[in-house]
Amino acid sequence: MYELLFAGLANVVQVKYLLPLALGTLVGVVGGALPGVTITMTIIVVLPFTFGLDPLQGLAAMTGVYVGGSAGGLVTAVLLGIPGTPSAIATTFDGHPMARNGEPGRALWIGIWASFFGGLLGGIFLIGATGPLARIALEFGPWEFFSLFVLALSMVAGLVEASLLKGLLSGMLGLIVTVMGVDPVLGRERLTLGIPFLAGGVEFLPVLIGVFAFAQIMTEVERMGGAAPLADAIDRAASLAVSHLKVIWEIVSRPLILLWVAFVGVLPAIGGSAASMMAYDQAKKFSRHPERFGTGTPEGIIASEASNNANVGGSLVTIMAFGIPGDAVTAVMLGALTIHGIQSGPLFISQNTQLAYGMFAAYLLAHPIMVLILALGSRWMLRVTTVPKAALFPVVLVLCVVGAYALNNTMTNVYVLLVFGLLGYAMVKTGFPLAPFILGVILGDQIELNLVRSIMTDANPWLFITRPISGGLLFASVASVAFALWQHRRQQAKLSASEGDADF
Amino acid sequence: MPGRDAWAGLAVLAASLVLFGFTFELKDNPLVPVGPGFYPRIVLGITALLAAAVVAAGFLTRRRRPAAAERGIRYGLVAATFAVFGVYVGALPYLGFRVATFAYIAATNAVLDPPRGARDWLRAAALALVATAVIYFAFERYLAVLLPRGRWIGF
Repeated sequence: MYELLFAGLANVVQVKYLLPLALGTLVGVVGGALPGVTITMTIIVVLPFTFGLDPLQGLAAMTGVYVGGSAGGLVTAVLLGIPGTPSAIATTFDGHPMARNGEPGRALWIGIWASFFGGLLGGIFLIGATGPLARIALEFGPWEFFSLFVLALSMVAGLVEASLLKGLLSGMLGLIVTVMGVDPVLGRERLTLGIPFLAGGVEFLPVLIGVFAFAQIMTEVERMGGAAPLADAIDRAASLAVSHLKVIWEIVSRPLILLWVAFVGVLPAIGGSAASMMAYDQAKKFSRHPERFGTGTPEGIIASEASNNANVGGSLVTIMAFGIPGDAVTAVMLGALTIHGIQSGPLFISQNTQLAYGMFAAYLLAHPIMVLILALGSRWMLRVTTVPKAALFPVVLVLCVVGAYALNNTMTNVYVLLVFGLLGYAMVKTGFPLAPFILGVILGDQIELNLVRSIMTDANPWLFITRPISGGLLFASVASVAFALWQHRRQQAKLSASEGDADF
Repeated sequence: MPGRDAWAGLAVLAASLVLFGFTFELKDNPLVPVGPGFYPRIVLGITALLAAAVVAAGFLTRRRRPAAAERGIRYGLVAATFAVFGVYVGALPYLGFRVATFAYIAATNAVLDPPRGARDWLRAAALALVATAVIYFAFERYLAVLLPRGRWIGF
């Protein structure tokens, strides 16, 4: 394994890979730092630029975006009090107070180094767990794959902050998108409603681009022109210089917190924002001084930033071992793999060893590059946040059109983009979470194929439960829904207790 | 008066029931134990049940007053942005990427930040020109992505 990793590192340090990796990391950091632009949107913008590159170049660029974006959000979170990405929300709780208390450099660098260490711990999990998990998945039959995909969908639906019912329904809507088009067994057209562009089925990338880009841009557009001040900014002339050894010591002298929050981060399907909030909550619970949280304590920044960067490694594990994207960013990466004709899933690491270890190497190298970029450009990032949205949004939407069009050089995908853009915005306005919908679109075909394969192999439906792994996965799926239900109820009870009577 | 959840649930319920009905038009093949309608029926059936639950929950939950964040939302601006994008998508095959994109970026910029004089119009046009040129050259020349040519103007 180490030999392959060193070979991957030697490969990726070549200029032809290092350049896209560094550019991707830079774009990720800038995109992450821009409030209102998420990592998903940044990677959607970068996607079409990777079409002309070789697979490792494209994936290195995307890995850079992911790592850079996860850390970039902390710059504005700390210095302006506005999280650049949702995964940096918890960073504002202590990062901004520390910056306002006259220590902006310390706050910023605790965040950057915590991202670095958290990311590397996530990397250890990524490199160590992907192979063994893929080997386990190789033993799976169609029953196990079906149950695994159902588990993934139910976990993502259960982890959303909105209602569990809406999360599940959103996942089902994603599955409906995949039943329209061509039946995978007989190859017959079905449920196309006479709409020509549905005849061949719908590709998931234009759906994903449309749903996420429009949902986000339009929710920003609807708030444009307000008179609210941009931020409670710190003095922009304040020094950001710190003793790096001191800052690093502040982080590594709390090994248990670091390890625990990194563990929270790598949990499958949790997502960066949920990971950072959960890790912050855990760090507060375990702290000897929980009362200091929210006033500028380093533990708060470490918990949030280490976990959201560790989450990048966790999300990459599920896509590389099972072909299941852990979040929207890895869903785009899955699309990039498909465009290059590479099948993700349990065979990915054994059939594309060089590419897989190249990705590991790119992931590891993206971290020092991210630190370097932030060391050189943190102050400059603050200027980037002044880019007018009226200029940024149309350019982003044009890049979305190019990304959809370039998939197979037809306007069909652009129409799909528009239709699903409208649907994505409607879903956001009605409180339907987008992540389960997208996962449904991605996994729908595989769920159907494995269901049909298992029935064609043996018509006994009890096999889904009596086969130990399949049964275990289905049980975990039911348990995750039950747990989510319990958690939602507990939250509701807390809310109603704190609100008292409804505000009529 | 039902809230947004109930209406959304009703829309999904109606759509899933209609599609469920269409699955009975799909003919089974005697050689295959599972027909093309088997899986869609499961998916649409579960969707209909969940949608019905959302409708029920929507009717049972008391409607709250719109939150402060909901008030003052500029839906008109959202509609205009969508409309300009729709026109852009419709015009792309006829005007081609370069002309349509230039017009789209300038128009959206003007919709989102209305120009207050000739100087602002010039700035919007300059942004549109530079962005269109950079995207066109980056994709056509360096990334070998062929962008749409206009059917009407051949450009």
